[in-house]
Amino acid sequence: MAITRLDGQTLREMFANGYRNLCRNENEVNSLNVFPVPDGDTGTNMSRTIGGGVNGVENPVSDVSEFMKTFSRAVLLSARGNSGVILSQFIRGISDGTDNKAELSVNDFGKALASGVKCAYSSVLKPTEGTMLTCLREPVEKLEAHDDFEDFDAMLSYVITEMKNTLARTPDMLPVLKEAGVVDSGGVGMVIIFEGMLSHLKGNRIEADLPADNFSTGFVSSSFGPDSVLEYGYCTEFILQLMNAKTDIASFDVKVLIDYLETIGDSIVAVKDNDVVKIHVHTFTPEKALGFARQFGEFITLKIENMSVQHNESVEAKPAKKKEKVKYAIVAVASGDGFKELFSEIGATAIIDGGQTQNPSAEEFIAAFDEIEAEHIIVLPNNSNIVMTAELAAKMYDKTDVRVISTKSMAQGYSALSMYNPWSDDIDEIIAGMVDGIESVATGSVAQAVHDSDVDGVHVDSGEYIGVLDGKICFAAADKISAALGLISKISDVEDKEVLTIFYGEDASEEEALMLIERIGEIYPHMESGCIFGGQKVYDFYIAVE
Amino acid sequence: MKKFAIIADSTCDLVKDLRDSYDIDYVPMNYVIDDTEYPASLDWENHSAKELYDLLRQGKHITTTQVPINAYTEKFTYYLEQGMDVLYISCSSALSGSVNLARVVVKELAEKYPDGKVVCVDSLISSLGQGWLCLCASKMRSEGKSIEEIAEYLENNKLKVNQFGAVADLKYLKRAGRVTASSAFFGNLFGVKPIIISDTKGQNFAVEKVKGLNNAKNRVAQLVADAASENGMDWLYITHSDCIEDAEDLRDRILALRPFKEIVISYIGPIVGSSVGPGTVAAYCFGKEVTVEGSDK
Repeated sequence: MAITRLDGQTLREMFANGYRNLCRNENEVNSLNVFPVPDGDTGTNMSRTIGGGVNGVENPVSDVSEFMKTFSRAVLLSARGNSGVILSQFIRGISDGTDNKAELSVNDFGKALASGVKCAYSSVLKPTEGTMLTCLREPVEKLEAHDDFEDFDAMLSYVITEMKNTLARTPDMLPVLKEAGVVDSGGVGMVIIFEGMLSHLKGNRIEADLPADNFSTGFVSSSFGPDSVLEYGYCTEFILQLMNAKTDIASFDVKVLIDYLETIGDSIVAVKDNDVVKIHVHTFTPEKALGFARQFGEFITLKIENMSVQHNESVEAKPAKKKEKVKYAIVAVASGDGFKELFSEIGATAIIDGGQTQNPSAEEFIAAFDEIEAEHIIVLPNNSNIVMTAELAAKMYDKTDVRVISTKSMAQGYSALSMYNPWSDDIDEIIAGMVDGIESVATGSVAQAVHDSDVDGVHVDSGEYIGVLDGKICFAAADKISAALGLISKISDVEDKEVLTIFYGEDASEEEALMLIERIGEIYPHMESGCIFGGQKVYDFYIAVE
Repeated sequence: MKKFAIIADSTCDLVKDLRDSYDIDYVPMNYVIDDTEYPASLDWENHSAKELYDLLRQGKHITTTQVPINAYTEKFTYYLEQGMDVLYISCSSALSGSVNLARVVVKELAEKYPDGKVVCVDSLISSLGQGWLCLCASKMRSEGKSIEEIAEYLENNKLKVNQFGAVADLKYLKRAGRVTASSAFFGNLFGVKPIIISDTKGQNFAVEKVKGLNNAKNRVAQLVADAASENGMDWLYITHSDCIEDAEDLRDRILALRPFKEIVISYIGPIVGSSVGPGTVAAYCFGKEVTVEGSDK
């Protein structure tokens, strides 16, 4: 049956099918990474972003304009990663383009897509061709020459064909794609979404395992309904009063509890404090945890939550309750135990858990802002793929002044934060000091390649270590120390630099970092070098030279 | 006019030549290494400067004590017995409780020596900032000014003595509890050199952060050039904790920005040195009144 008009419900189902299609192919999109390290995340970011919209409007109205408003707001909140932010802006533009429309004709939809492209472009300061932007723009521009599509089926088929054509040419537009032998990952994501949408019109529902975390909780009071399947179990916490009648309190070993809990769950935290034991466990069978624990005592408090309806778990280090209002607060995105601790220690008010392979959504930023009582909030996104989300969140947030310093790595974030002057009365001066702090910093990283590659003119064999300087692969070596030294030698004004900080990740040891420092001391005797445990994944070393 | 002595304490960091030519005496505080107390001699009688800073570099924990009460009693009595008055210019009360102790001693002695007097001036600074106030007092004494006139002048002008220090490693100040700064300062700030001023309360206050020693020296030079006055009190004092090259380098950078007539470079003495640790350079000049009051927000 040819479909020539769309209402809100149908649109929602189309997007939902596109979303599920993307979930199915998420890993494939993630693997389209220009660097030979396993940290691509475009598929995940785009699917979480659009998924937030789909889950945010479970019962859409038939009025297209109304549906799109709610949908695009939910997408916006879920936006994460640069590709996610661009996608969210594309959808916002579509929403603007459907204003006051209860239904859409094929032509209406074409115009809405054009509005989407415009909005997506305007969201990027310097649009780069050869990215998902081009993959959206070219097919939509070509659409304008056609007003003769019989139905949506024909129109979307055309858009997809053209999008694939553009996609195939992205390596010609962006040398870095060609070198890596991949096409643009965001463009692939868009094709997959559109294919899913078309598929719905053809009557095919795509099935997919939906991702673990639960987004857009601001819109869904509970995502756990009568027909849900218990996917994640229960977060179970209790404080147990050990009882003399039940056990010998002095000799009671909390390990007994830990050993048992390990058989029924994970994420276990167990602490004994005199005659009280505090337990945290994630389990599908909380009743067993309680039953076992009760052999030794009685509960003082008890809390069990279905983790499907928990939300914003990843916003960490929340200030306890609303604090008294402070002048400045810092929100930093960090991953790795070392970095999280480091950022808290040197002045961050809240840490959002996230990084290269786990980009937080705009909503997570907003949730973090909501927990803070400050006149000014300074955000350190600490990843080039999170900067746009942070800026989006800052723009959406109107309760307090939020400034984003576009730190592109945790090393840069550290440099910025180390120059934070909390006693200044002038927010602009503080920001300027922190920006100064990063402008003279060269940041590099070292990681092991997982496949061969020829990017940025450097040949890398699988298993070698690559040195990445300011975003470009500049060196490859058989061991991480040599890769780090090679990378440092590529810093053009290294002779003028005085401070070098090494953050070693979970795959590197302190001994290796100290060995590296010793070598640096021999080569650059004027340099003041030190190492700090960062605990980051994938990258053995982050290096800041300033 | 009645003769009077000018007395400082171990934090004034004036070398013997200057103390002799300006006729300035001092009461020693003590420093403690491994439970042994040594008087903090400005002439390095127990440990040479090098020895003391090497001990700090090796991680030796050196603590300091106030001026002992009997040291005050003896020193003040010595001059009062000769029929002289005493002008005592103390280490900042925010850094040492000595001056409060001195005031107690002064009260007791007042009964015994009704004709003599001891005037205490809390310098609200230390090292050559305090040293400068002492030299200034001595010059005024030579001009025939009375002890009251001098004390009044010092009280009115002591906040115009500016300190700008670049601390090599915050851990010493942190350990000694001799710096006021937000907790953000006390983190793992690798390579960051805090600029330490002496604030309106006489606290060492970390007022700015600079990355790297080179930048820190440039910043101190600029701050000195901005703060120093043009009214003929053209003196520049630089102290260092066993890093004379940095001190001389700092002097050259300051002189590149503006001239000074009188320049003194000297070691930071054992008391201040124990709390700032090796590798610190500080410049002192006279000019703009300090208005910053540090807090540890």
